[in-house]
Amino acid sequence: MIKIDKLFKRYHSNGVSPWILNGINMTIPTNTSVGIVGRNGAGKSTLLRLIGGMDQPDRGTITSDSRISWPIGLSGGLQGSMTGRQNVKFVARMHGSKDVNEVARLVEEFAEIGDAFDRPVRSYSSGMRSRLNFGLSLAFDFDVYLSDEATSVGDRLFKEKATKAFRDKVGQASIIMVSHSNDILLDLCQSGIWLSKGEATWFDDIRDAIKAYNDGDK
Amino acid sequence: MQPQRTPLQVTISVWYALFVREALSRTTADRMAWFWMLVEPAAAVLVFIALRAVFFGNLRHIDGAPTVPWMLVGLFGFNLISNVMLRGIGAMDANKALFSYRQIKPIDPVVVRFYVEALLVTFIFLLFMLVAVALEAPVQVDKPLEAVFMWFILWLLGVGLGLIFSAVASLVPEMGKVIRILSMPLLIISGVIIPLQTLPVSFSDILIWNPIAQAIELLRSEFFANYRTMPQVSINYIVIWVLGTLGLGLLLHLRFERLFKRL
Repeated sequence: MIKIDKLFKRYHSNGVSPWILNGINMTIPTNTSVGIVGRNGAGKSTLLRLIGGMDQPDRGTITSDSRISWPIGLSGGLQGSMTGRQNVKFVARMHGSKDVNEVARLVEEFAEIGDAFDRPVRSYSSGMRSRLNFGLSLAFDFDVYLSDEATSVGDRLFKEKATKAFRDKVGQASIIMVSHSNDILLDLCQSGIWLSKGEATWFDDIRDAIKAYNDGDK
Repeated sequence: MQPQRTPLQVTISVWYALFVREALSRTTADRMAWFWMLVEPAAAVLVFIALRAVFFGNLRHIDGAPTVPWMLVGLFGFNLISNVMLRGIGAMDANKALFSYRQIKPIDPVVVRFYVEALLVTFIFLLFMLVAVALEAPVQVDKPLEAVFMWFILWLLGVGLGLIFSAVASLVPEMGKVIRILSMPLLIISGVIIPLQTLPVSFSDILIWNPIAQAIELLRSEFFANYRTMPQVSINYIVIWVLGTLGLGLLLHLRFERLFKRL
């Protein structure tokens, strides 16, 4: 369960910007996969980053008793000077894994980037990065996976593999995802959150959320 | 659902992961890394001896201590403080991609670098001392326990200064360069090459306010029991500096944690 309580967030880079998230209250039940919809700039990625603990809210709290992943598909989180393997081992150690090499093997298998796995990440293409990133987050047993357009990066074959991997996780773990693809949302999510003008609306059925987004944000 | 780890468990695994990363990148960055770590101090000592012979021909003798070991102890004590305090600068920048993981706080890579630096300098210092003993040089450690304790205090002084400098340099990037430039003459004015007490009193009375100079003098007096430091040198002064810099450094990191995380 993830409890969002009176959440406010805005960015301060250019003076004071308007509230992106303006007082959000919401409870996301355990084992419910949620799709977040909304226009560009509505705060979808911001909400995801806040849930993942990568950013701090200006006011309000997010509390959770689940193990939450970092947002998959976000380009950060890989240190360019380290090789793919070193990055994976680093994250495994950080999460207190007992067999670091086993984690590295799993990721190597899933990412299918060949010899590049032992080359510095800065030499990777963006597709290779997202493969590594995706494999990395699947190697740990999180209760909740956060996904920011993860399945839309990479070539067609990998996209299918990634979607399948996501689907296999349904049941053991839930997913909170941001996506503009209705098919993927309908495929993987049960419930939905519609973000608009700093406010969030919860829908028990993802179809209602997509409908509200299509009708409301014209 | 798996049990949640305690904050201490998380911190320990983060430090372990960062330690492996730092230690690897520091010792294998290029294939000559180890070579230079050993040759640099040796070359420095040779240059110091040459300098002294040329410029201070009549000052070759140091009261109560053999010259070369006196320099070695001073140089490594100085290296310990200055490496620790300067390596903290840029530690956050070099690891900022890893800040995406919420387990990592911006201060973690800084602290881990202090630790890695201490291990490296200590290891190389011991190696030099062993070689000196093997060569039957007049190495002496009159008060070993006190020397280890002072070594630790020197490290803490570096940590305190390093915490402040790393925070300041992240807030104002130009300050990183300024600090590096200002720290260049430190080697001379901290009495690593020439004993401060041989300078004119009007100079030495000012220079001895430098806590690094005092710390090095204290370290030397633990190695060489007959060595007389300047009367102003006191452990209390150093401890006040250590506590002051540690306090201010931690405060800065606490106050600007969110800013550093976003850098």
